[in-house]
Amino acid sequence: MLLALIILYTITLVYLPITERFRNYTIIVALQGWILLGIALLRLHSVSLWEMGFVVAETLIFKAVIVPVVLLRIIGRTGINRIAASGKSQFNALGLSIAALVASIAVTYYIADATIGVVFFGVSLYGLLSGLILITVRKRIFPHMVGFLVLENGVFLFSMAVGVEMPVLINIAILLDILISVLMLGVFLTKIGGEMKNMDSDNLTTIKD
Amino acid sequence: MLLLYFIISVLLAAGVLLSRTQKLMKWTGGAFYLLQAAMAAWVIFEGIGTTSLSFFTFDGTGALFNTLLAIVSPVAFLYGLWYLDREEPARKRLYHALIILLCAALTGVYFANNIAVTWILLEATTLCTAGIIYHRRTRRSLEATWKYIFVCSVGIAVAYLGVLLLGGLSHGADLSYSGLTVSAKFANPLFLQMAFVFIVAGYSCKMEIFPLYTIGVDANMAAPAPASALISTVLVNGGFVSIVKIYRVVLSTEIAGWSGNVLVVAGILSVLTGALFMRRTNHFKRFLSYSTVENMGIALLGLGLGGVAVFAAVLHLAGHTVIKSALFLQASRAGKSYGHYQIGRWGSYMDVSRPGSVVFIVASLLLLAFPPSPLFISEIIVFGRMAVEGRWLLLTVTVILLCSVLYNFMRTVVRLCYNPARAIPPREKSNYILLVPVLLLILAAVVLGTLQPGWIVEWLGKGMEILNG
Repeated sequence: MLLALIILYTITLVYLPITERFRNYTIIVALQGWILLGIALLRLHSVSLWEMGFVVAETLIFKAVIVPVVLLRIIGRTGINRIAASGKSQFNALGLSIAALVASIAVTYYIADATIGVVFFGVSLYGLLSGLILITVRKRIFPHMVGFLVLENGVFLFSMAVGVEMPVLINIAILLDILISVLMLGVFLTKIGGEMKNMDSDNLTTIKD
Repeated sequence: MLLLYFIISVLLAAGVLLSRTQKLMKWTGGAFYLLQAAMAAWVIFEGIGTTSLSFFTFDGTGALFNTLLAIVSPVAFLYGLWYLDREEPARKRLYHALIILLCAALTGVYFANNIAVTWILLEATTLCTAGIIYHRRTRRSLEATWKYIFVCSVGIAVAYLGVLLLGGLSHGADLSYSGLTVSAKFANPLFLQMAFVFIVAGYSCKMEIFPLYTIGVDANMAAPAPASALISTVLVNGGFVSIVKIYRVVLSTEIAGWSGNVLVVAGILSVLTGALFMRRTNHFKRFLSYSTVENMGIALLGLGLGGVAVFAAVLHLAGHTVIKSALFLQASRAGKSYGHYQIGRWGSYMDVSRPGSVVFIVASLLLLAFPPSPLFISEIIVFGRMAVEGRWLLLTVTVILLCSVLYNFMRTVVRLCYNPARAIPPREKSNYILLVPVLLLILAAVVLGTLQPGWIVEWLGKGMEILNG
């Protein structure tokens, strides 16, 4: 079951570079929240009830509900629902994503260390790279933000690999999630969206040499 | 002691934020910098070697950088009061409160003995700095704030992946640096290498080094100049301390040589970036920020080369902190006189402020490592280490890049002081309350570079003790 969820999580990462609609990005982020909840329930059954409650609240309430709702609100407020360019950029992004997947698998197999959950590590690494690819290849700010959320989910997934022994690491990952997501989504929702209507990163070029 | 310091700091920050009058805000803010000085003095005379709150150890490195913070921050506070004098009271209060919280978080970063605590406090510095950058509430400051939060968040998340890797290696023991040093000895080298690269890349946004140096430059441009004096010195020192603590963890493993080379590569790329972009930029605060990137690169080179070059790296940072803060603070005065920071439109500063011009010229010469600058000693030691190790290509490239920095820096400063400006602003009023502290910072640099009293050398030695255990 755990492996099935991790495979499903990987599929969401593969789908990420193909899609061009912001609503689909939001669905992916929400789906990842639900998958992480499932993984947490299966993986962390040995931690204390309080720790478990904290993790469930974070994945269920924050990742699977609040963040997608805020993203939908941003889409509604700005009226933009797709990335600026399509076709070629998707192809390039998919190529990069597959390369990242191959690299992650290669690194994971090369390490093959029993100390750390290598499957968790490999998928987390792929999540990290997928987030960075999305931030790099997409022009609009919205996918950049989704890229960061995906990257964070990858880090959170990996925290569950080592969190069985050290729940404090999961709590810190949650702290990162909540603190930064609230700050970033808050700034985006209240300031950036209002200032930059077309939400292109080209608008963020007044500061330069 | 540290708990008391944190509680009082937060209370004083709240006090500044809630001050009803300017006078009350000044006194409350001033009280914090007295507390900071008292804390630094206590650490030096009583605290070294002790542990507080389980997660903080007062070591020589922390004491050195905390003392630099205690020296530079009150001067930046004085300049902040003057620089923001005519601004909205609410904004001023928020600015000063955030600076206090930034200083408190940095104190924690310097002394943290636990990788997770370091990470959390660095995250806290991101939040404080973001608020400071957004001070102007303009579109440009919004852009800088967004970029800062975004890139710092990516950096800090990447660093956290490294923290998780190290945490996994410790088998649930603990996340203290001493505990990690023990568990790292038996770890898979590839895991260690990845953890090291993730953490250095993530923290590079704080230390203003390659690859995530850009946001520091943008932040310095958008933040009020007195805040830039802190962001470009004591905050980057926080990044350095965090990296050096991780470096110590891997030094006792088989990837020690490899990790040193990673730091050398990041260092030379930072020097290259700084040298290239200093030539391109037309904004004086960005110009000084690229100089920070270059200087942090030299410090990283020293750290990566090891041996006596580590001493040079610490000396370099100490000298850089006092000189660069003096330059940024003087730039705040020039910027206010001209009403902008466009290098191309600056000039005739000698006619605007003779003492200010002297500060610019002397501080620039010291920053460019002319004797009696401490940076002269540190760079000579780093070059010597390169020669001893037979890294002639690295030495040649570094020297060429530093020559380029020297040329661009002096060209800019000479243009600022002597070139006729299109519109010369009125003469700056003599303000000894602002001038004297900056002169004292420069004097401190000269003392560091010439006299080097025994206790300073001992301190710097303690600064490098982190690598010797």
